Amino acid sequence: MSAVNFWRKLLNVDRRWVFLLIGVVAIVPFLFPVGMPMTTTAEVESIYNFVDSLGTDDAIFIAFDFDPGTDAENMPMGVAVMRHAFSRHVPAFMTAYTPLGHGMMMSGFEYVTDPATDGCYTPVLFDEWASYRAAGITDREELVAAWEADGHALPDNSAGWVFEGRDYALLGYLPLFHLVILGMTSSIEAQYPEDAHGNPVGEMPMLREHKSLREVDLAVSLAGSSACQSWIIYGREKIGLPIAFGVTAVMATDYFPFIQSGQIIGQMGGLRGAAEYEVLMQENGIREDTDKAFTGMDVQSAAHLLIILLIILGNVAYFGGGFHKQHQLKSGR
Amino acid sequence: MTYDVIGIWVAALFTLAIYSFLYRENPLYRLAEHLVVGISAGYSIAVTYDLVVGPRLVDPLMAGEGWVLLIPGLLGLLYLTRFMPGVAWLSRYPMAFLMGTAMGVSFPLTMKAEVLRQLEAAMVPVYSAGMPWHIVLGNLVMIFGTLAALIYFFFSKPHKGPFFGTGSKVGIWVIMLGFGATFGFTVMGRISLLIGRVQFLLGDWLHIIK
Repeated sequence: MSAVNFWRKLLNVDRRWVFLLIGVVAIVPFLFPVGMPMTTTAEVESIYNFVDSLGTDDAIFIAFDFDPGTDAENMPMGVAVMRHAFSRHVPAFMTAYTPLGHGMMMSGFEYVTDPATDGCYTPVLFDEWASYRAAGITDREELVAAWEADGHALPDNSAGWVFEGRDYALLGYLPLFHLVILGMTSSIEAQYPEDAHGNPVGEMPMLREHKSLREVDLAVSLAGSSACQSWIIYGREKIGLPIAFGVTAVMATDYFPFIQSGQIIGQMGGLRGAAEYEVLMQENGIREDTDKAFTGMDVQSAAHLLIILLIILGNVAYFGGGFHKQHQLKSGR
Repeated sequence: MTYDVIGIWVAALFTLAIYSFLYRENPLYRLAEHLVVGISAGYSIAVTYDLVVGPRLVDPLMAGEGWVLLIPGLLGLLYLTRFMPGVAWLSRYPMAFLMGTAMGVSFPLTMKAEVLRQLEAAMVPVYSAGMPWHIVLGNLVMIFGTLAALIYFFFSKPHKGPFFGTGSKVGIWVIMLGFGATFGFTVMGRISLLIGRVQFLLGDWLHIIK
C-alpha cells in the first residue's frame, strides 16, 4: 500500500470507529477513576462567593430554564447552588421557564432531598409546620428548635431541615416567563398565588419578607437556551437584580461579554462550571464529597485528549497525503 | 419503588435505542425519536393545563368568578382556528396581540441590555495610571478586535487597501478565534451530554458505579 493510499484510508475511516473510541473513553474512566485535579475560575468563584455572603435574611431565585436535553449539564449546577443555599439557610425561590423545566425543578429538588443520599436535606412540607406558623414561629432558628423539641429527629445522613415556605418555595412554570419576570418586579404573589404544590404563596414567611424581585438578592438562571437573557433584560436592566448564569458549554462563549459588561456576576459554563462549584463547596467544608459533575471530569479530559489526537491525526493525514493541493478528496467527501 | 425501576429500565432502553443511530438508522431509533417528541408535547400540555389553564381559567369560570377571563380565554381559543381553513385568518388576532405586546414590552429593555450596555462595556479607557500591563493589552485586543470584526462586516467598500483590506483580514482572524472557542465549548458540551447518559447507564441502571 502506497503512502498516499494509507493517508487516504485514514481520512476515509468509517466514522463508527470514532464513535466506538469515544464510547470506550467515556466508560473506562468511570470504572478506573483518576480524580484529576481541577482549578476553579473567577467566573464561578464570584457566584460561589456571592451566595456564600448571603444569609437567612436574604433570598435567591434558582431558575430551572432548561429541558431534559441539557439535564446532564444544567442539573448539577442547580443541585450545587440549591445545596449551597440550603447550607447557608438562604431562602430559595425556584421557577421554570418551560413545562419541561418544571419537571427538572421537581427532579432537582427530589435529588437534593433524597433520603438515600448522604448529606441530603430533609424537607418539611408547608402543611406539616402549619401549627408553628399559627403560633407565630417563623424565625428559622426558633422554628428548628421548636420542631426538634416536639420530637422530630434529623436523620443521621441529613445535612439539615428545609422548611417549605421558609427555606424554599417551588413556584414552578408559568407561560411567557419573560413577562412573569417583569411582573415579579412588582409582586411575586401576583404572578404565583399558589406554588407547585398548591400552597398559598402569600402565607409563606419567605414571601412576606421578599415580596418582589426588588427584595431578592440574586437570580441564578440555569439555561439550555437564550431563556437566561430574559433575566438580564427584565431583572437586571429594569430593577438592577444581580444575575448569575449556569449555561451549557455550547452557549458559554455567547455570554462572556455579559460578565465583562457587569450585567452578570458570573457564569458556570457546562459540566465543568458545575464541577468547579462542587469543588468550591468541598474545599470550603460545605460538602464532604463532590458529585456527578466532578466525577465526569476524568471522562471529559480523556475525551478531549482523544479528540485532540484525532484532529492532529486528521491534519497529518490531510497534509501528509498532499490532499491540500487537491480541490476535492478522491472519495468525494 | 417498582415504578422507579420500570422508569429506569424504560429510560435505559430508549437511551440505547437513540444511540443505536450511531451504527445506522433503524426503526428502534425512529420509534424513540418520535416518542421523545410526542411525550414532550403531551407532558407540556398536561403541565400547562395543570398549572395554568385549570387553576387560572377553567376553575374560576366554573365557579362563576372572573368573567373577565373569558376575553383571554376566547383570544387563546382563536389560535385553534388555524386548523379550520375557512376561518384560519382569525388566528392572526391572538398572534398580533402577542407580538404587539411583546415588542412594546421588550424593545426598550432589550435595546438597553443587549446593545447599549455592550457598547458601554466596549468604551473603556485603554490606559490609566497604575493599570497593570495585562489589562492594557486586554483592552487593546478587545477594542481593535471589535473594530476589525466590524470592518469585516462592512460591505459598502471593497476589502482592499491598508484600512479595509488589512482590517477585514484581522477581522476574519478575530472571528475565527471566536469560532474556535465556541467549537471547543461545543465539543465539551456534547461530551458532557454523553457523560450524563453514561453515568445514568452505569450508575442508575447497572449499578456498576456510584
